[in-house]
Amino acid sequence: MLRGDATRDGLIRGWLLTTTCVMALASWRPAYGDALDGVLEVRSAYVNLDRGVFVLYARIGYPMSPAIRRALRDGLTLTFDLEVRVDRERRFWFSMNIVDLTLRRELSYHAVSDRYVVRNSKSGAQENFATPDEALEYLGKVDAWPIVVEPQLDGGNYTISVRAGVRRGHLPASLRAILFWTNDWARVSEWYSWSLPV
Amino acid sequence: MVTPGVNGRPRRLRWVAVAQALLWSAIGLGAFLLLAESVQNSSAFDRLRPWILLVDFGGVIVLSVLLARKLWRLVRDYRAHVPGSRLTARTVGIFGALVIAPLLIVYLSSLEFINRGIDSWFKVEVKQGLNDALGLSRAALDLRMREYSVRTVALAAALSDAVPAEVQSRLDAERRASQATEIALFGPHEHILAASLDGPLEGLPSQPPADLVRQVQQRRPYVSLEPRAGGHYLIRTAAALGDAGAGHDARFLVAVYPVPAQLAALSEAVQSSYHQYGDLAALREPLKTSFRLTLTLVLLLAMLAAIYGAIFSAQRLVRPVQDLIEGTRAVGKGDFGTRLPLPSRDEMGFLVHSFNDMTKRLRRARAEATHSQQAVERERERLAIILARLSTGVLAIDRSMTVRTANEAAGAILGTDLSAASGRSLPELAAGNERLGQFVAALAVRFAGGREEWREQLDLDGATGRRTLMCACTPLPGEDADTGFVIVFDDITTLLQAQRDAAWGEVARRLAHEIKNPLTPIQLSAERLRRRLLAGMSERDAEILERGTRTIVQQVQTMQQMVNAFSEYARAPEMQITRFSLNQLITEVADLYRSQAPRTRIRLDLDEHLEGIEADRGRVRQILNNLVTNALEALDGVGTPTLEIATRLEPGADAKYAAVTVCDNGPGFPRELLGKVFDPYVTSKPKGTGLGLAIVKKIIEEHGGRIDADNRPEGGARVRMVLPVKDSTRSATGGARERLDQLRRERA
Repeated sequence: MLRGDATRDGLIRGWLLTTTCVMALASWRPAYGDALDGVLEVRSAYVNLDRGVFVLYARIGYPMSPAIRRALRDGLTLTFDLEVRVDRERRFWFSMNIVDLTLRRELSYHAVSDRYVVRNSKSGAQENFATPDEALEYLGKVDAWPIVVEPQLDGGNYTISVRAGVRRGHLPASLRAILFWTNDWARVSEWYSWSLPV
Repeated sequence: MVTPGVNGRPRRLRWVAVAQALLWSAIGLGAFLLLAESVQNSSAFDRLRPWILLVDFGGVIVLSVLLARKLWRLVRDYRAHVPGSRLTARTVGIFGALVIAPLLIVYLSSLEFINRGIDSWFKVEVKQGLNDALGLSRAALDLRMREYSVRTVALAAALSDAVPAEVQSRLDAERRASQATEIALFGPHEHILAASLDGPLEGLPSQPPADLVRQVQQRRPYVSLEPRAGGHYLIRTAAALGDAGAGHDARFLVAVYPVPAQLAALSEAVQSSYHQYGDLAALREPLKTSFRLTLTLVLLLAMLAAIYGAIFSAQRLVRPVQDLIEGTRAVGKGDFGTRLPLPSRDEMGFLVHSFNDMTKRLRRARAEATHSQQAVERERERLAIILARLSTGVLAIDRSMTVRTANEAAGAILGTDLSAASGRSLPELAAGNERLGQFVAALAVRFAGGREEWREQLDLDGATGRRTLMCACTPLPGEDADTGFVIVFDDITTLLQAQRDAAWGEVARRLAHEIKNPLTPIQLSAERLRRRLLAGMSERDAEILERGTRTIVQQVQTMQQMVNAFSEYARAPEMQITRFSLNQLITEVADLYRSQAPRTRIRLDLDEHLEGIEADRGRVRQILNNLVTNALEALDGVGTPTLEIATRLEPGADAKYAAVTVCDNGPGFPRELLGKVFDPYVTSKPKGTGLGLAIVKKIIEEHGGRIDADNRPEGGARVRMVLPVKDSTRSATGGARERLDQLRRERA
């Protein structure tokens, strides 16, 4: 039937077009971190048990480029996050999250003093450095960060995962809703995970 | 009956609309919740951002596909001239224009406003002002830093030569004099050699930063401004002592000075403004891009939704009109069961209600018409059955003599098949049929004379003889002048024949009764006269008497023979039914006549399947004798006289029949006598009573058979008689004798 064939062809064409568009959309990724080019990774991480407290030691490589330097000197604030997750493994079910912590620090250029300031967002403590590289070196070393106390782990296998991230900081919430189209100042590393038998 | 296509569509459309509204509401709400969650939580923002984009673009794509589908269908319907499509297209065009034009104006204005507005946030004057303020702050602090640096360098030079016991006191004196918060002397490997602190209980002096150490090791004075938490500032100065040692072994002095609170606050304010401006300036282009994209997406969604909504609304508006059109078409095709759903209680609803009311009335009227038609049909069928069963011919024709109706009896009487004659011209049907031709000619003569209602007897001559019809013509009633006539006719040939037979039988009976009785006294009287008078008379008188009495006696004997013949014709002796071989009887008769008429060639064609019949053997022999005698008399004077007798076993509808055909090659029956040859006193011979064939016919009818006489196409007469093989057939059909008796009773 001619009309029936035409209708079927039209439907097939429509679905093909839709599928192509959806696949194109799925394959499209926003230009994440174009401005944050460079290596962002957790190079090493481990925990030590120190008087009943598990403390984290990590070495992270953060990217630094002329664009970042320029942006910092223009007054931009960068936020560096170090996320830690401790999950209890379960045999026939998803792992249970025990701890989910974020160490958040901000790096900014202090124009009056011509120094680079690293500020802990939670405690407010800050350190200043003469160069951004020194500041990054400081940021890339995390020593003895307490993440979990021993009584929280009651046997079994645990997975500790660490991930580093860097993004543009100090965005007002109202602007963040609009700026989500062009989020080119945000990157996260892969998860760095290891098992912790207790 | 409710048409499902018309009724089911609005309900389905309503469900589709509700489902779509729910779907879009869910998508919109989901996207909004995702966005709200993401702006509150920066880590969630990264995780949810692709999903928000997917939902947004997915919505646009799905809406585009739906819209494209609707537009494609609209165009298809428009080209196919589907009812309502033009109205829909026009409505969509108007709605679209009304919505798209303001949207585009708002979109373009907003774009321009956003570009100009965002650019105005980052004016060059603001940036320059900030830089100037920054420069001013730096200049003010630099002055103080240089002053502190000089003091530190001077103190370091003074301590170079000081003995160790004096160092602490010199440091304390200098700290008090310069209002430094701490002054410390470091030795090799940054070991503290001496220190003076503002509050001795605070502990050790602060660790010198790495860049400080590097610089003093290079024997260069060091000064830096260090921001502290809470908006405080410190000026840290350092200088190497003039020792001989260098590098890590060199001693160096570090002094930390506070910045006055007012100056620190002003500097911090400048720094904060610089920072905020920097953060915002970095957002300049992303902001513009985001605003443009957001506006474009909103415009796109609004336009798509507006056009989709326009199509949807237009289709809902047009739907009742389309239903009405479809319903009207259905009514036009005779479907009065169409009921349209009531779209609303407005004017359109009133129209649809009126339509439904109309179809309801039409349905009722059609039901009544169908009922009446069925009643008429039943009457017609009944009439047709009656007509078919009638032995009377009924023929309905119009004024152009075209057959409208004819029953089977009409065809049988007129000698033609009229079962398929309806609509055909009667003269056309009469071609090749002599009897029907005469019938048509008789009708034509009467119609030409303006006679429309008449009742007459028509004599139709044909090859099988004359048929007499009692014919009545009546014009059919009706408003139309060309309604035609109905002609009713009966074949009364047999009836007339029977009447004649009955009359002749009566004549014969009376002749036998009235004439036969006086004949014997006449003969006896004549003989007595001759006997008494002959002896006393003269020779001449005696001769006269002798001739006269002899004539009387001869004529009386002749009359007696005639009366005997009549008597035989009239009397009805009991038949002696036996089973015998007809073929054998015919052979015997033929052998008898072969010896009597040796010139005549008698040929027999006998059917072997005809084994025997149940009949009165003597009377059948009389029939054969009569027929053969008649034929031989007719062959007198013929060059090669030939007589053929043939028998056939013929299956009938209800029984088997024996057919006997006697043919000769004589002159045949005179045409004017055909149809009357079996009447008494009808003969073409100079001699004879004319009762031979009449008696033959009478005997055959008494056996339940029939007899016909005609002329062969190649010349000669042919008589064909048919007798039932079994006597039970005769009893069932009733013999001619019974019919004759019935006729006689009727006459009496």
